[in-house]
Amino acid sequence: MSTETEQIQASSITPASAITTRQLRFCWPGQVNAPVFPDIELAQGEHLFLHGPSGTGKSTLLGLLAGMLAPDSGSVDLLGQSLNTMRSGARDRFRANHMGVIFQQFNLVPYLSALANVTLPCRLSPLRRARTEPDHDTAAMALLEHLAVPESHWQRGVTELSIGQQQRVAAARALIGAPEIILADEPTSALDADNRDRFLDLLLALAEQRRCSVVFVSHDRALASHFHHQLALGGEA
Amino acid sequence: MSKVRLALSLATASLWYRRRVLALVCLTLTLSVTLLLGIQYLRTEIRQSFTSTISGTDLIVGARSGQLNLLMYTVFHIGDATNNIRWSTFQAMEQDSRIDWLIPISLGDSYRGYRVVSTNDQFFKRFQYGNDQALELSRGEWFDDLFDVVLGAGVARQMNHQVDDEVVLSHGGGRTSFSNHTDLPFRISGILAPTGTPVDQAVYISLEAMEAIHVGWESGVAIPGRTLSSDRARARDYKPDSITAAFVGLSQPILTFQVQRQLNQSSEEPLSAILPGVALSELWRMMGQFERALLAISAFVVVTSLIGLIAVLLTLQAQRQREIAILRATGASPLLIASLYSFECVALALAACVFALTLGGSAIYGLSPWFLEQYGIQISLRALNQQEWLLLGAIPIAALTVSLLPAITTWWRSRKLGFGAGSDL
Repeated sequence: MSTETEQIQASSITPASAITTRQLRFCWPGQVNAPVFPDIELAQGEHLFLHGPSGTGKSTLLGLLAGMLAPDSGSVDLLGQSLNTMRSGARDRFRANHMGVIFQQFNLVPYLSALANVTLPCRLSPLRRARTEPDHDTAAMALLEHLAVPESHWQRGVTELSIGQQQRVAAARALIGAPEIILADEPTSALDADNRDRFLDLLLALAEQRRCSVVFVSHDRALASHFHHQLALGGEA
Repeated sequence: MSKVRLALSLATASLWYRRRVLALVCLTLTLSVTLLLGIQYLRTEIRQSFTSTISGTDLIVGARSGQLNLLMYTVFHIGDATNNIRWSTFQAMEQDSRIDWLIPISLGDSYRGYRVVSTNDQFFKRFQYGNDQALELSRGEWFDDLFDVVLGAGVARQMNHQVDDEVVLSHGGGRTSFSNHTDLPFRISGILAPTGTPVDQAVYISLEAMEAIHVGWESGVAIPGRTLSSDRARARDYKPDSITAAFVGLSQPILTFQVQRQLNQSSEEPLSAILPGVALSELWRMMGQFERALLAISAFVVVTSLIGLIAVLLTLQAQRQREIAILRATGASPLLIASLYSFECVALALAACVFALTLGGSAIYGLSPWFLEQYGIQISLRALNQQEWLLLGAIPIAALTVSLLPAITTWWRSRKLGFGAGSDL
């Protein structure tokens, strides 16, 4: 773990690259001379662990990968398509079709039930709905069951769930319809050690089954061993 | 299409989730819409009720005065006559071949605050209201005997009188009178069917009876010994010196202006002949200023409550950052997120409109008997007219317009939203 892996080589097993970035740079308003992000090369089905102290732009990098921020320079290619050339509407559609997202906390739409939160991506993307078997409700229930969310909570408001349960519902939402890429922004930081490990194991196992690539951001470097690759941000600072 | 359905279902779920806060906003909006719609509705109804107080009468003739004054005291029983017209003038009019019928009326006395109208059987036969509806008796018959009285429906209901009850009329107007015609009580011979006009709020006696009860009252109070007992009164013959006014029906309506001009220029005595329709519309024009102001005020109340609604939505906007971040991250477009605000706003407005219709409808249903009783105004429950539908339809459109403010700010902000920006809140 002492060596910082600056660049991750594509695995030879998978033909297509899930994520390829080159010389990415993004300045927030008022910010000058933002550093260039290290290049990322992640094959489909592989998991990347991103770590670094706060303020090193981990969330900014995820924003760039998700297409929610447009880089000032550099390029992002996802699944062989260039995000740079897409208009914002196309990026939104791409995100709906191919990405699952998990935040640190407050991951769920408060006025929807746990089940409705999980099926939300299927309602935004016909592609993801088409990938669920046999239908999105059944797929969502299967995921919730896998992630050990008690059945009694499926139809209820998500505010009644514990933090751990909320994060698992968020993981189910990210996984439903088997998107190629999952972006997770410190999803375990609010969990205790037991919950954290269980969450990570479940997420990665289910991602593995669906051949999803996971980009996982955390400042907790103890988690790095679960991932194929790791990348440090702002290491030189 | 599926995006619209998604937005609708999200908006519905969101409204339900925030129902406690939004219920108050919806209540405010409901009350203001009820006010606006209610005033517009009452405007139409009262105008209807107003213009239907008299119909079929071509001219009203009285002593020289303004047309509003003449209309007010003859038709609405408000205010007093400036002067009387001579009986000889009335008789001359009866001789006029252009005049088909005449209803003489004499005012001045009262019964417990209700006007006493002394007239003859022409009143019952010829007087019309609404869409040329004639008067009808609900019980008993029109006066025949000298001391018979016919009650308007409102008087009978209010005083709880039946046919054959005895009543004592008072000298002069006013609710409490110190000089009553106690020696000459009247018997109720009949009660008129309700009309929803001032006719309900008066009692009717014959011209002769009016003369009879005032024998010995020449100085304004009863002089003992000079008044009559009922038997002696019946034995006498009466001829009125003067009457207050007359309703005129012409044989040919085309002659209206000719007869009117001739009466107004009468050399016998100063007369005023007015067209009731013209006088009513002038009266309504005066009231119109006031009711338009009222309508404008209630429109402002609606605008105020819409601004309140936007204030609440903008406050809620701060709480919705997370939810917006989640929807954005899941691939929802800024347009879809912005449309949530518009859908919610319009849904609230529609709900307020439905509640306002229910509230207004039940209020009118509940209060219309009271209105009829207190003011003699007939307000009935009816389907909304085009103008009212337009007014009602303007509410969701206004709500949609004002919702553009939070919608556009949300649209703008969510375009610039970084990854999980909401989760930092």
